[in-house]
Amino acid sequence: MKVIVKCFSQVRYHLGKDELVFHLEEGVTTSDLEEKVREQAGDLLEGVSLRVAVNQKYTPEAVELKDGDEVALIPPVQGG
Amino acid sequence: MIKTEIVSGKIEPFPSEDSHHNDGAELVFNGRVRSTENGETIRGLFYEHYEGMAEEELQSLAAGTAEKFPISDIFCRHRIGEIPVGESAIHVSIWSEHRAEGLEAMAWFISELKKRVPIWKWAVLENGTKIPSECRHELPTEK
Repeated sequence: MKVIVKCFSQVRYHLGKDELVFHLEEGVTTSDLEEKVREQAGDLLEGVSLRVAVNQKYTPEAVELKDGDEVALIPPVQGG
Repeated sequence: MIKTEIVSGKIEPFPSEDSHHNDGAELVFNGRVRSTENGETIRGLFYEHYEGMAEEELQSLAAGTAEKFPISDIFCRHRIGEIPVGESAIHVSIWSEHRAEGLEAMAWFISELKKRVPIWKWAVLENGTKIPSECRHELPTEK
């Protein structure tokens, strides 16, 4: 299944990309995906807390991903 | 009434009107860009947002504020893109019958916005380099 990860702020800066595309096996969760993204960043996202949104909604608990999901790993927000 | 917007140009303030006859308090907050970020001189801030989700969260937050506090109206405009030093990044206007609930609502709204609305700021250095605000002291100045 195909999942898109949208990158913002520190995630975008460290990975150098606006979005990442993952081809994953069934059963992969948001938590697994976060781990994969952190691996890609080496130690650059160490200490950066990330919240997860799936299809533009925060998901406080890890959830199983589905084909076509849009995931955002959200660093601390800074509006205002 | 609740009205929220994310805009890309200079913020036009909500009008200050004389027609709110039941509201004794009109509170206005403008969050402006300072000339320094983490101790460094900047030419401005660049705000990015998660399009779609940021608008939804902002509207939901304003609606939640109007439910939590006895206020009549809450209006908010947040600007994105590059904002020069001195200009407003956010403009909020709240109307309430008495000042106490309006002041409380304003403080809560701004504080919650900084926790949940997916908007981020990048420092724009004098040479035009943009870096995420939180990373200022961890990264090289050129990238």
